[in-house]
Amino acid sequence: MLVQVLMQLAVVVTLMVIVSIGLFVGRYRLRETRTEWRGRIRAAAPITVVLAVVLLFNSVARQIVPDLSWMIGWNLTWAIYDIEGQFILWLQDQATPWLTAYFSFIYIYGYVFLLVFPVVAYFALSNTRPLRELLAAYTLNYTLGLVLYIFVIAYGPRNMMPELVEALLYDTYPQYQHLTRQVNRNTNVFPSLHTSLAATVTFLAYRTRDVYPKWNVVAILLGVSVAISTMYLGIHWAIDVVAGIVLAYVSVELAHLLVGRWSLSDWVDGRVPTIGGLRNRDP
Amino acid sequence: MNRNTTDPVDGVDRRSVLAAGAAGLSLSLSGCIDSVRSVVTGEEDDQLSLSIVTVPRDDNRETVQIARHLESNLQAVGIDADLTVRSRSEFLEMTLIDHDFDLYVGRHPADFDPDFLYEALHSTYADESGWQNPFGLTVREIDRLLEAQRLADPDDRKATIEPLLEEIAVEKPFEPICRPTEYRVASDRFEGWDNSHLATRRGYLGLEPDDDVERLNALVTDARPSRNVNPLSATVRERGTVVDLLYDSLGTLVDDEIRPWLAEGWEWDDETEDDGTAATVTLREDCTFHDGEPVTAADVAFTYAFLEDTSYTSATHPSPAPRYRGHVSAIDEIETDDEDEYTLRISFDAGREVAERALTVPILPEHVWLAELNDRIGDLDDFSAPQGRWGIVTSDAIDPIGSGPYQFESQSERDHLTLERFDDHFTLDEEDDTLDADVHLEPTVDEIRFTVDPGSVSSIERVASGGADLTESMLEAFSLADIPEDDGIERYDDDSWTFYHLGFNTRRMPCGDFRFRQAVAQLIDKEWVIDEVFFDEAHAEPLATPVTDEWTPDHLEWDSEDDDFVTRFLGSDGEPNVTLAHDMFEEIGYRYDEDAGRLRHN
Repeated sequence: MLVQVLMQLAVVVTLMVIVSIGLFVGRYRLRETRTEWRGRIRAAAPITVVLAVVLLFNSVARQIVPDLSWMIGWNLTWAIYDIEGQFILWLQDQATPWLTAYFSFIYIYGYVFLLVFPVVAYFALSNTRPLRELLAAYTLNYTLGLVLYIFVIAYGPRNMMPELVEALLYDTYPQYQHLTRQVNRNTNVFPSLHTSLAATVTFLAYRTRDVYPKWNVVAILLGVSVAISTMYLGIHWAIDVVAGIVLAYVSVELAHLLVGRWSLSDWVDGRVPTIGGLRNRDP
Repeated sequence: MNRNTTDPVDGVDRRSVLAAGAAGLSLSLSGCIDSVRSVVTGEEDDQLSLSIVTVPRDDNRETVQIARHLESNLQAVGIDADLTVRSRSEFLEMTLIDHDFDLYVGRHPADFDPDFLYEALHSTYADESGWQNPFGLTVREIDRLLEAQRLADPDDRKATIEPLLEEIAVEKPFEPICRPTEYRVASDRFEGWDNSHLATRRGYLGLEPDDDVERLNALVTDARPSRNVNPLSATVRERGTVVDLLYDSLGTLVDDEIRPWLAEGWEWDDETEDDGTAATVTLREDCTFHDGEPVTAADVAFTYAFLEDTSYTSATHPSPAPRYRGHVSAIDEIETDDEDEYTLRISFDAGREVAERALTVPILPEHVWLAELNDRIGDLDDFSAPQGRWGIVTSDAIDPIGSGPYQFESQSERDHLTLERFDDHFTLDEEDDTLDADVHLEPTVDEIRFTVDPGSVSSIERVASGGADLTESMLEAFSLADIPEDDGIERYDDDSWTFYHLGFNTRRMPCGDFRFRQAVAQLIDKEWVIDEVFFDEAHAEPLATPVTDEWTPDHLEWDSEDDDFVTRFLGSDGEPNVTLAHDMFEEIGYRYDEDAGRLRHN
């Protein structure tokens, strides 16, 4: 079941990325990438390693985070549920089969595409700074998000109000529950990492709007759709989404401050002859 | 991640390490939470406030809906009610172990015999943690009636239980709401699904798989078995399907009757000095535990003594197991014979029916549990065994060795628990002529895998698409419409002993007052619950009393025309009649503040 869902996801997202490369990146940048890719990979390698380590740590930590959270016992479901509750109900009142299909697609496929495509798009730029900022911002999202998950136990609307909030995604397409279960626990709703990562991409797309003007528009549309989809599908409360946007903003700002502050490649350049350097000496 | 079976002691049990670290943290945060709460709920005043705890929809869609129904009705009459959701094991920790609740909505596992009420309500257990008396009820008359039904003559027992049930309906330590029908779907790769109840050991035995089938893949929506199968833990399960497969018991339930299982047979002796009874139990010879050690009378005697005190007299205070308390309390004494390893005499403080129920506890291997205990004791001077909480009754690191028809193979957290057939199980002994083919069903399939699945709808889909054979967990009523009309999949319906109920913590005011409990119980519209939550009368029946139909006295059968406090809903169509409710609460000493719309303490 899971394998089937993953295959489908991989195929759809790959197709979307290929089409988008044609639409937004263009042939000229691809040609340039072919000659410059080594240098760009070298520049992005350190932050990629950091991100990989954080993701690995995250998957291990998620095994113990729930236990730790229950012991800390800062359960905020009731508070969130007291404060709002009505908004999600209103949003769900707008449900139509088409909207459900759209938002389900966005929640799964749109979201993964939104995260993957900018990595490709920024890699296609000579200036590696947007790519490094993007990866740094992803890292920060996961790190800060995990800390919040430890402290806050909260169940989403679908878990609290099953008769009012339909779990549209899981009731309509139960197979997706196999996928989301792998990456998320049902007590980890505050903040919405779906929203925060989508908003991160959107914020960065806005920063790079001079380079990718069309992508900026698409990213805003997708980012907003992802945020709405989490609430429409009964997975997150509005507060989680707001917190997700704040987390995204903080992550993007921090990434901007931090990236380029320490340069691993400068440090390496001074000590080890690089492959490029060796080759230049060759003839 | 396979379970590490080479390390029997969880000296560095993950939970306890985390608990130590989190203890300081939670202390420092608790004040903080209170202040958040008072900001949210307004200034402190004397409004009546109650908190209801239950599990989230992912764990049980029905309980959270019932809890919300009650929450909204309590609010409608001016009580500051709030709803807390906890994961299944945290919920049980909170209600059974810590007794940290006002009200809870849950499903009680109950049992085939009404004697489960002894464990649930006897005042002796009011201070203990576990399934024994989580309500903290201490009512002398109920104690007396619980004891009387135990000693009653089998012919008179129903008549003795009647006043008990009436007294419970008046005292209302809990309010039974409804009894669900257990629905499951199964594939046609096996035959015999409808032979026995699929929540019991027998449901998995004697099945006839197709020729090429080597594994039964059963879907569970509860991930706890993939993590911990400790037979004594109160919080890792509600009922004991897996434990029943791993462990044998002396007797087993076959069509409303306890028949010898691990015991070859027993002789009753009703001529005891007291009112009780006694039995001489003969064990099957040549039975072994999964590690090859023989099952003897000493193991049986150990099991009952150990359940009574899991510190095995090493701690200053006895530490009874948080399960099987009622079963074990029916036993007065066990005598073994040094000469004969396979015979023991058990005397009971109870009549036959209750005594037979006591024979259904899992038989534990003495060598495994004593070694485990000794490892934990370490230093006797400094040894304590906090009842219901200490390592031996909570740990996931104790070898799950029983003598049952299936043995532990592997488990992977949140993924699966796999059992494999125990080829030396007595039911597979072809030469044993004491076996009765109808009672001693064999484990037929090589392997049973309990796979964790996210929910009823996806479980049904998985069985329908051939990815699994059975939905072990009861299907939620709303998902029944998703069962396809298909030859390869069929629905099986079983009656249930379990019941949905509202539990009160009688240790805390205002729930300590039985009149208040009666008033709150009248704010649940059971028929509305059936319509809105279960969708059909066939899916659940409203209850006035918690025992099965055969034990229910006529006047405690559900009757929607009844207008007494036992069954009445104070309102209609799920909505409370606020004026009547205010009168009701004012009559028992509360004051309704019209202006603020709040019910206050007087």
